[in-house]
Amino acid sequence: MQFFLQQCLIGITNGALVALVALGYTMVYGIIRLINFAHGDLIMLGACLALSLVSAFGMAGGGMAATWLGVALLVVLCGLFCGGLNVAVDRIVYRPLRNAPKLAPLVSAIGVSFIFMNIGLFWLGPSDRSFPELLPATNLLAGEGLQFTAKDLLVLVVVVPLMLALSLLVKSTRLGKAMRAVSQDPAAAALVGIDVDRVIAFTFFVGGFLGGAASVIYGLYINTIGFQMGFQNGLYAFTAAVLGGIGSIPGAVVGGLVIGLVRSLSSAYVGERWTGAIVFAILIVILVFRPEGLLGRGTKEKV
Amino acid sequence: MNIRIRALAVVFFAAIVSVIVLPTSGCRPADPTLVKIVSSLPRTGSAKQQSDTIVRGIRMAVDEAGGRVGPFRIEYLDLDDSTAAAGQWTSEAEAANARRALQDPDVVAYIGTFNSGAAKVSMPILNLGDLLMVSPANTAVGLTKPGLGAPGEPQIYRPTGRLNYCRVVPADDLQGPLSADWAKKRGVKTVYILDDSEVYGKGIADLFDERCREVGIEVLGHDSIDAKAQEFKSLMASVKAANPDLVYFGGTTQSKGGQLAKDMVSAGITGILMVPDGCREQVFIDSAGAANLEGRCFVTFGGLPPEKLTGKGSEFVERYRKMYGEIPEAYAVYGYEAACVALSAIREAGTKDRRAITDKALAIRDFDGALGRWGFDANGDTTMKTLTVSVVKGGKFEFEEILDAAEEAVAAP
Amino acid sequence: MTGQHHTTRDATGAVPLRDRVLAFVRERWDLVALVVLAVAPLVVPALGGALGGQVTTLFIYCILALGLNVMVGYTGLVHLGIAAFFGIGAYLFAILTVPMYPFQMRFVTAAAVSVLATAGIGLALGAPTLRLRGDYLAIVTLGFGEVVKVTLRNLEQITGGMKGLNPVPPPGAGLTVGGINLGLAFAIDPRWFYYLALVTLAGVVVAMRRLEHSRLGRAWVAVREDELAASAMGISATRVKLSAFAMSSAVAGLAGCLYAASLSTTADPNAYDFNRSIMVLCAVILGGLGSIPGTLLGVALLVGFDTVLAPWADSAIQQWNINPSGSSLLSFSGWRLAIFGLALVLVMRYRPEGLVPSRRLAAELHEAHP
Repeated sequence: MQFFLQQCLIGITNGALVALVALGYTMVYGIIRLINFAHGDLIMLGACLALSLVSAFGMAGGGMAATWLGVALLVVLCGLFCGGLNVAVDRIVYRPLRNAPKLAPLVSAIGVSFIFMNIGLFWLGPSDRSFPELLPATNLLAGEGLQFTAKDLLVLVVVVPLMLALSLLVKSTRLGKAMRAVSQDPAAAALVGIDVDRVIAFTFFVGGFLGGAASVIYGLYINTIGFQMGFQNGLYAFTAAVLGGIGSIPGAVVGGLVIGLVRSLSSAYVGERWTGAIVFAILIVILVFRPEGLLGRGTKEKV
Repeated sequence: MNIRIRALAVVFFAAIVSVIVLPTSGCRPADPTLVKIVSSLPRTGSAKQQSDTIVRGIRMAVDEAGGRVGPFRIEYLDLDDSTAAAGQWTSEAEAANARRALQDPDVVAYIGTFNSGAAKVSMPILNLGDLLMVSPANTAVGLTKPGLGAPGEPQIYRPTGRLNYCRVVPADDLQGPLSADWAKKRGVKTVYILDDSEVYGKGIADLFDERCREVGIEVLGHDSIDAKAQEFKSLMASVKAANPDLVYFGGTTQSKGGQLAKDMVSAGITGILMVPDGCREQVFIDSAGAANLEGRCFVTFGGLPPEKLTGKGSEFVERYRKMYGEIPEAYAVYGYEAACVALSAIREAGTKDRRAITDKALAIRDFDGALGRWGFDANGDTTMKTLTVSVVKGGKFEFEEILDAAEEAVAAP
Repeated sequence: MTGQHHTTRDATGAVPLRDRVLAFVRERWDLVALVVLAVAPLVVPALGGALGGQVTTLFIYCILALGLNVMVGYTGLVHLGIAAFFGIGAYLFAILTVPMYPFQMRFVTAAAVSVLATAGIGLALGAPTLRLRGDYLAIVTLGFGEVVKVTLRNLEQITGGMKGLNPVPPPGAGLTVGGINLGLAFAIDPRWFYYLALVTLAGVVVAMRRLEHSRLGRAWVAVREDELAASAMGISATRVKLSAFAMSSAVAGLAGCLYAASLSTTADPNAYDFNRSIMVLCAVILGGLGSIPGTLLGVALLVGFDTVLAPWADSAIQQWNINPSGSSLLSFSGWRLAIFGLALVLVMRYRPEGLVPSRRLAAELHEAHP
């Protein structure tokens, strides 16, 4: 039983991280129907920056308070970096293609993903790099017989408030309302006076900011980054977004948790070697039987 | 439109023509005073650091010979069997290297490969041309030893029936079983085995598995990992639940050896970790985190580590240190020795005839080289049977002990 | 809108020879290319060696790209997993021919069975998923690619895992025709595979041409341009898409058979991953969606870049000692990803129909930007 609980705990923690990344995908898709293939690699660049900052400021070996403060600072800085980069890419690459057929932005996103990967290759080198262990490794749940350290706690402590903040943003603010309007019908939104391009840019910024936060957490949690990490992580996160219903924010969260649990439970009970196949097989099955995802709304195509 | 289509047609033909002409532009007729040695190693991607040291070793051997061997000048060509696209070795690149070496009449020796899987691709090709192939690093047993590998190995790598392949490093039929014997001697009762599904990694993990069962160590589990995965927390939770004394990983630094070690430690597993020679490089320690491995990670290596070499070997280490400002990685001396083997064979044969050179190389029975005194056996394997175990201490590999196959009973299946 | 040629005539009113030749080359580029490629091995000695193998692989990728073109170019469905079908074709062919299994079929039989089976698998995947919207279909194909790769790797007993299945015997192994031992000829002289691949490629090109102009081909295009309108006109969109998927899978499978035969191994499952799918997709898109010469050009450029230009530039850099420390920044292939990425972005921005477009698609893609 304990083994099952431990795997669930791992699954939820992993899943929370996946969910954070999935939010970036779902937001961009929700607003301009673009699968942003470059999001995973954007996060990789955020992690590169995080590593450079940590090395530059010599953060390893500080006191508890200093470390947590440092982490908070990292999250903000990398968030701003990724958010800004995302906005820039939207402005330069995707905005001119607003009215082009669907293939164009999709393939451009793949192109941007390659460019990001190459930047990562120059930044990090061809091998994986180790992220310093900033958080103590003491087991907080040793009494229960489970393994849960400060790292795992960090993931939940950062992810949950960010998601709540996002929901708040989308539901209760004017900008959030504008985002929802643009995602429903850009033409109508423009007609009522919403600056569609600004709203889209803002969406990219928020998605990127979340990605930047995710990159810091990833570095602290997994402790290894490499220029190729974007693909694998992006794939899982994207699967989570689709699973939950792409375009739906709660869907991304649910999808992330589901994917995290599937990964850990399948590794535990089927075997590590089959995990990749199982995750994607589940994706295919869900898409076949419920294409709009778990929490998505079915879209009817109008003539 | 008119001009554009014309321009595009020209581009099309130029593309075709350049594909045909460009590579041949360097062709010139065979030069009777020149011999070439080529190496085929992964020069891009994460294995680059390893192959860098091997290339340096080869270069040092060629430079020491003064760029001449017998009546010939030597040129050394460093070929890449990996592609930027894949980030690791590919069958196509390796096959292309082998064919290129065959086609060039000045090439008389092929030093390669690093990965056992790549050797499977080029061995049959080079065999057709009787071109000498010396590997500084292949350890998969099926490449030379009959009856130990997959059915048909090694005959499928020798379409002409003659031998052309030899290696200066002991094979895994030494490393795998001796590792299990060492574990037994140390009092290990239970193991959990992981591998990276690759030819080398799975091969040695299977050999370790088999031997463990023979000597009475309980194998609690044996799973393959996906070398592209980013983390192994769930896997390590499963391993922890099994509570083994020793975790064995058959794989390389490139197939996530470092990450496994990290996750093993953070999952709270108390057993020791054992890894084969594919992880014997500084990059492994760095990627796992020196603190994580302190005193609990043991690395096997077929042969002696650089700091333990004597005689010509220690001279090589000294020269390497002077030239490059750091001590060589484990495989550098093997690259050096492989090149020395090729040079010695060329010198003895005295001609550019590939068959003669190959025969001379395979006939080596008492070679006094950087690795000690050794020779090739009838299969092209080295007679050196030394295995060393090193432990990671203070962020470096520290020699622990030598396992000599003469002392340990190695039961060949 | 027919292509306007302003044929210049000379004093006597006849078209000068140079213009006539150019017009012929432009119109019948395929014949000219075929003749040049067929004659090349007799004229270029390097084709009897390493280069022959590389050009053979180029032809095989051309076939694969033409298969992808059916889905992406003609029918407008984004397919991110074509390498999976490439791999399925290669592995099925290998299973049917290697000595480890009892089948040991001849080349043509094994290829036929493998192609049909791969098409079948394509149908099986397509049937439940083709009704999904374009983006979702792309993800399904991507996921399928990953599932296939992991399965090929894990089913070690059947597929040999990472070792792959080998040795795959050459075509005509054991057959002696006209005094020539076919199997040995294929094994030793790369020109045999060169011609086999060239003939197959020519056959696929001809078949694609015929399809383009057939009812089915036009139905594909109709579905691409406006699925709702097409179904309103009585075209069953699902059936049409399914046929595209099956055809694309079949051609990819054929390419896989040739690949396994020419390498005499299936290689490891990592050779059939997302990277491969993306490369072929890039080739089709950059060269020209829906256009056969475009697709071929795209493959030639991309493969030429990877296997000819990059290694040559790298060894030139090595020889001129520009990059003594071996850093990625100063090597040519270190920039490969950025070059590909930039090419994709620029092409999509300024010429989304590709380098040698199909006219119809060019018109369609530029209607928003006159």
